[in-house]
Amino acid sequence: MAELLLEIGAEEMPASWISGVTEQLRQRFTEAAGRERLQPRAVRAYGAPRRLVLVAAVVDRQPAREEQVFGPAVRAARDATGKWTAAAEGFARKNGVAPEELGQAAKDPAHPDMLSLVFVRKIAGRETIEVLPAVIGAVLRALAFPKRMSWDAWIDDGKGAFPFGRPIRWMVALLDGRIVPFAIHAMVSGAKGPVVVETGTQTFGNRFLPRETAGRPVDVPSFEGLKQALARHFVLVDPAEREARIREELRSATGQSGTDHALILEWRDLVEFPTVLVGRVPDEFMTLPVEVLDTVLVHHQKYIPLRGGSAAGVRFAAVVDGDGANAAEIVRGMERVVVARLRDAAFFFAEDRKRPLAQRVADLEGVVFHQGLGTYKDKADRMVRLVDRMAGMGVLGKDDHATAREAALLSKADLTTLMVREFPELQGIMGGLYLEAEGPQRADVARAVRWHYHPLSIEETAAPKGRLKAEEANVFGAVSLADKLDTLAGYFALELTPKGSSDPFGLRRASLGVIRVLLDFWEARAGKQPDLKALIGEAVTGYAGVLKALPATTQQGLETFFLDRLAYVLGTRGFDQDEVAAVVHTPGVDALHDVQDVLLRLRALHAARAEARDDFEHLAVAFKRAKNILEKAPPAAIDPQLFESDAERELHAAVGRLGARDGSYEDRLRALAGLRVPVDRFFDDVLVMAEDARVRANRLGLLHQTVSLFYRIADISKLGGSI
Amino acid sequence: MTGNPRMTLQEIIGALQRYWSERGCLIHQPWDAEVGAGTMHPETFLRVLGPQPWRVAYVQPSRRPADGRYGENPNRLYKHQQLQVILKPAPADVQDLYLRSLTAIGIDPAAHDIRFEEDNWESPTLGAWGIGWQVLLDGQEITQFTYFQQAGGIDLAPISAEITYGLERIAMYLQDVDDVYNLRWSAERLYGDVRKEEEYELSRYSFELADTDLHRRLYDSYLAEGWRVLKTPGGRTALPAYDWCLKSSHAFNVLDARGAISVSQRAGMILGIRKLACAIAAQYVGPADGEAARG
Repeated sequence: MAELLLEIGAEEMPASWISGVTEQLRQRFTEAAGRERLQPRAVRAYGAPRRLVLVAAVVDRQPAREEQVFGPAVRAARDATGKWTAAAEGFARKNGVAPEELGQAAKDPAHPDMLSLVFVRKIAGRETIEVLPAVIGAVLRALAFPKRMSWDAWIDDGKGAFPFGRPIRWMVALLDGRIVPFAIHAMVSGAKGPVVVETGTQTFGNRFLPRETAGRPVDVPSFEGLKQALARHFVLVDPAEREARIREELRSATGQSGTDHALILEWRDLVEFPTVLVGRVPDEFMTLPVEVLDTVLVHHQKYIPLRGGSAAGVRFAAVVDGDGANAAEIVRGMERVVVARLRDAAFFFAEDRKRPLAQRVADLEGVVFHQGLGTYKDKADRMVRLVDRMAGMGVLGKDDHATAREAALLSKADLTTLMVREFPELQGIMGGLYLEAEGPQRADVARAVRWHYHPLSIEETAAPKGRLKAEEANVFGAVSLADKLDTLAGYFALELTPKGSSDPFGLRRASLGVIRVLLDFWEARAGKQPDLKALIGEAVTGYAGVLKALPATTQQGLETFFLDRLAYVLGTRGFDQDEVAAVVHTPGVDALHDVQDVLLRLRALHAARAEARDDFEHLAVAFKRAKNILEKAPPAAIDPQLFESDAERELHAAVGRLGARDGSYEDRLRALAGLRVPVDRFFDDVLVMAEDARVRANRLGLLHQTVSLFYRIADISKLGGSI
Repeated sequence: MTGNPRMTLQEIIGALQRYWSERGCLIHQPWDAEVGAGTMHPETFLRVLGPQPWRVAYVQPSRRPADGRYGENPNRLYKHQQLQVILKPAPADVQDLYLRSLTAIGIDPAAHDIRFEEDNWESPTLGAWGIGWQVLLDGQEITQFTYFQQAGGIDLAPISAEITYGLERIAMYLQDVDDVYNLRWSAERLYGDVRKEEEYELSRYSFELADTDLHRRLYDSYLAEGWRVLKTPGGRTALPAYDWCLKSSHAFNVLDARGAISVSQRAGMILGIRKLACAIAAQYVGPADGEAARG
């Protein structure tokens, strides 16, 4: 085996790409090298902003292989006298052997008796170093980037123009220290131009460090050599090392242990040699809401806010690339940017509060929600309608209704504030903060406005879990549902539905939010929870006056979309996909009428099945069989007089007993196991498709009743199973 | 501060122009019509089209009426100055060339945190977009760096690199001042001496005084004149047509600052400018094989 080292040196790639592209590099190489029979082992890939690195063990030479070359059929190989025919001799001659040296084999495995003459050609393996250039080319071509760019590059692989994520500036490709030749050309007037990048032994470290040798190329012999040389030149190739360094630096720079933040992973791929510096937010800005302060620090500057510890006030940690030798001056620069931004924010905060939020609702008439879907004022009005509909369903109490109504109307007003126009990610939050500032009597409305864009994540612990009082759950839920359903209905009506990985309007996330509100937040008082199906209908008709023609398929499309998303959410909660399918797609029940009930049924099914796995598998197969039979013939009402065997009577009695049974979903499902014996006996003893039409219809009726028995809970035939 | 910390604004401009002049750039002058960014200067927008190599640098005062703050905000301006560099085709060492230009104005890259962070650029009015970064110096954005991919709706080959220095930002950093009006423009004059009254008057005009009906008519007339000129038989009218295109863009910006454009109108007006810009680009590159009309 030999070590292959490949380094692709590029101009700065976005941090968000690094881990994905690195993994692709590993996979694409493994596939391409495998296809070329290089038997890749221990393939590892590492990424940093200016490089993608791959190291793998490969064979030195492709193994030799044999290829069968088929000739004429054996029965056409000799004539009646047993002499070789011209066809056989020609075939032998073409392959440079005598006819006697040819073997016989079946060309088509489906016809093993039809033999042909066969010549076994031995193909010597090529040297790996000869094969690798094409592999490298194929891998470079196969890397997919969130956004590609033309950089006037060309690869001589027959495909020509070579767009990539960022311009490539150098490449190291070494097979046990030997250069694997590969070149990228300039593209000039649409054709191949001079070489711009050629593989070699030279890598580049940090642009400016160490000062004595900054910018000069560094020779490397191997992967280990590369890693060590780059570490001396302020590059940590391995993301895990960069992350460890960040955590260690954070500990020593802040004096606090265990500082954690989502930014750490972004920092890891933002720089090649992370060093952490700490700055201070001037006390004058402590009057700003925490959310505003953190938005400036986290979202705009990518600094981690530090609170508590020995120091008063707020400090921030920032990552820099390199040794941070000139820390005091760098931090001063960072603080100046933070101050300028916070000064803007403080100005906005003061200006915005000069008008009560309610006054801004009318301004929403000037803010378009989406071309063709009206303004945000229209949207707010539609949300109010949806809230009213929920009250009409009896799922919102009188006070809750009034609060939710007001919150829905005010929910979008903060879009006209200076703060949200400057910091769009503060939408909702600012509305809540400004309402809160208007007085304590608005606190419940404020919280509903504050959180109505949530839940944003599928994590069950994500906000606003634990941030709302129990009695506020349904007000929040009503506004949140109204917002998301209105958005979904609008985009579906315009047929701007998510496709593949493209979901520019965040519709999957919105639908996830709807399902999570219903599953995890709504307090179903008196057993009542909003009927999603009815709300979808209401949301769609809400656009009747806005859209000239409301497509008839919108409602249906949304329902299918929601069923799919519901199954997805349930699937992430540890249930098997077949169990999810059994409760989401149940013939007798529309899952969208009561989403919480779907979860209850699913839990029951999961528990009952776990206790009697064998019985359930068995019944699943029997029910599938029953359903297949029923598809072909219509069932009739059951007439016990027509039963001919005990097996029929026994099944009928069992079904009758189970059908009359009360109790929880789980109890009833548990009893299902009792069907196994009579069902088996029925299928063993009874011919369903009897000659006599009446007997046949009667038996079909019995089968139909049997499989329908649990349709209120789950479609057992959807469970996987084998006998 | 390392290097030469006290360069005046005009010294910074002089140093950057000298630097790029020494690297083969033609030093051009600002375009003599109102533009929102150096990209709109025909030396960028038209020159990046077609196959001819081109290197140019110029200062472009850039008017953004909606950013006016009556001379009261220390960071925001109705009119700021960009130093724009176009390198076509983009050389392989373009990042290094840029970084060395920072040294030329007294910034020691080794002593600072200089970062190229993803920031792709798009101009809906020009039908143009590119891939690139904002360059951060200790957290402050000082330059926009873009590999143009498309201009006037036309895919570009070769690709040009555009480097846009925010001159006020850089000067504030170098001179260590927090208020743009305290920048030293020359040894004798502060930025405020030169421009503060202008900022006030232009802000007042665009927020309070601009006649919106007139500007609506201007927007329409400018576009109409642009199309009329462009379609004149015989061609060779891309440049005057482009002047009218720029004027319509400025009229649009004034209306926008006056709050006179609803969001739904907005998209339509932007599209109006883009259509003309794309038609101009198409005439400029000429039919079929993309041979430029001049050059």
